[in-house]
Amino acid sequence: MQSEEKYDDLTALFEAQDAALESEAFVDRVMQPIRKRSRWRGPLLFGAGGVGVGAAVSQIGGLFDIVSVRAASLTHSLDEVRPGTFDVASLDPLWIGAVVVMLTSCVAIVATERN
Amino acid sequence: MKPDIDLARDAASGQEAAFEALVRRHQGAVRGVARRLARHAAEADDIAQAAFLTAWRKTGSYRGGSFKAWICTIAYREFLQAKRKRKTEVEFDEGAHIVAFDSSAARLPEQLDLERALKTLPENQRICVVLCVASGLSHGEAATATGFPLGTVKSHVNRGVAALRKQLAAEDVA
Repeated sequence: MQSEEKYDDLTALFEAQDAALESEAFVDRVMQPIRKRSRWRGPLLFGAGGVGVGAAVSQIGGLFDIVSVRAASLTHSLDEVRPGTFDVASLDPLWIGAVVVMLTSCVAIVATERN
Repeated sequence: MKPDIDLARDAASGQEAAFEALVRRHQGAVRGVARRLARHAAEADDIAQAAFLTAWRKTGSYRGGSFKAWICTIAYREFLQAKRKRKTEVEFDEGAHIVAFDSSAARLPEQLDLERALKTLPENQRICVVLCVASGLSHGEAATATGFPLGTVKSHVNRGVAALRKQLAAEDVA
């Protein structure tokens, strides 16, 4: 580090000052907010993730119903669909809800990630 | 003793105990840098704490080398932020009352001499001396951290070191 110059005499004095400043109180002061955030991070992550997974699982039954009932018309519709004709209003509100929940979960994870 | 780079890697993966070990190991250097730059001890400890919290968020960006130099550079940036925040010129006041964080941090006479001598240096010279001599940054690293040209950093350090030595020698004689 100090290849350019030698300041050993002064560096030793600075290091002695630094050593005198060491205290457990300061370590606790730094670590306290870090520990506090970690306490909330786990439950928040699992909570948001759990809500997302629960919402997704609750849609599986409905998905099977939709597929079995609409399989024929879906195939027909897919054959007819043209690029650029996607319409959000035509989507099932349940699926829109599921997507919103999943996005909310992702936002919660990002927001709590080591901030 | 686990090397800094291993502790930093563990801290980056979220291990608080590893980061706590780094705080314990480098708190003296960081608090020292902050005290040599800030106006008073309370502000210095706020800067030191902010530096460690920033380091906790950015441990993943530490790429090896001297951890002490890395964290002291963060402390210097926190000092600049604090300085901008209060929008006043930072200068050492001879009458400023310096309060130790805890009463056990008693200082020896030569340390008080060094503190006094450091206060007499112009601010940019003091910054360069603190970063290069007290914190162990190379001239190049200090130039990057401060934005000063490399030649200016070298010149500040050389003049600052000479002035400190002269003053400490004079106080020894007296």
